[in-house]
Amino acid sequence: MSSFKETMKKITSNPVYVKWLKDAWPYLTGAILLSLFQIVTLATTYNPWGVTGPYTNWGAWIFELFGGSVDKWYYFSSEGMQRTLENGFLADGGSVRNAGLILGALLAVLFASQFKIKKIKSKKQVVAAVLGGLLMGYGARIAYGCNIGALYSGIASLSLSGWVFGIFLFLGAIVGSKLLVKYFM
Amino acid sequence: MKEVMLDCFGEACPIPLVKAQNKMKEMDIGDILIVSIDHSCAMKNLPDWARGEGHNVEVEETGDGEWEVVIEKVK
Repeated sequence: MSSFKETMKKITSNPVYVKWLKDAWPYLTGAILLSLFQIVTLATTYNPWGVTGPYTNWGAWIFELFGGSVDKWYYFSSEGMQRTLENGFLADGGSVRNAGLILGALLAVLFASQFKIKKIKSKKQVVAAVLGGLLMGYGARIAYGCNIGALYSGIASLSLSGWVFGIFLFLGAIVGSKLLVKYFM
Repeated sequence: MKEVMLDCFGEACPIPLVKAQNKMKEMDIGDILIVSIDHSCAMKNLPDWARGEGHNVEVEETGDGEWEVVIEKVK
């Protein structure tokens, strides 16, 4: 048992472990990697990087699991959309990528031994989380994308819409911060 | 010189930062604020802000996914 502890101590104090797995990577490293991988995404799937679009498909699949049907919903009514839903999870590149996102985040936090199930502090927190999630999800569909699909990929595709989205994202964040300070402090 | 504890477990950004900023206003020079956090981004923005203000800052990992940010008010 003591040798196990010693081995663990050797690993956790190893500079390579600390640099690569324990400490957060610099913003610049993250930015460069994101830029490279969004190019890979565009080149392999012929679609720019997006996050909330595939989640909307997850919603449809879950709804169908409970016997619902989205065939008549305007959002899912196009032929391409119907085909994506029919072909299923593993054939939807975006869905697989989103699953990888969650798995990767879990792995990173486990490698750094920083995993913790956080306590819910108040009912207010639950209401804010649910309300915030609904607003973000609704907004992302109405705007044809989230801060990844509409902002990041929009700007990366040299589209003006990405910049317009960005301006209103900032305005929304200012209003949101004011509300947060007013109701959460 | 007194020590003030601020429990921010379960609070997401930017709430720990704003709470710490408000608390620091009430404190005197030489006082120490200890903020308990379990949201990793507060481990960055809280020390960044405090150091920018010129305070002395130390971050201690107290458990899995738990940290204490110790801030000494110097001005």
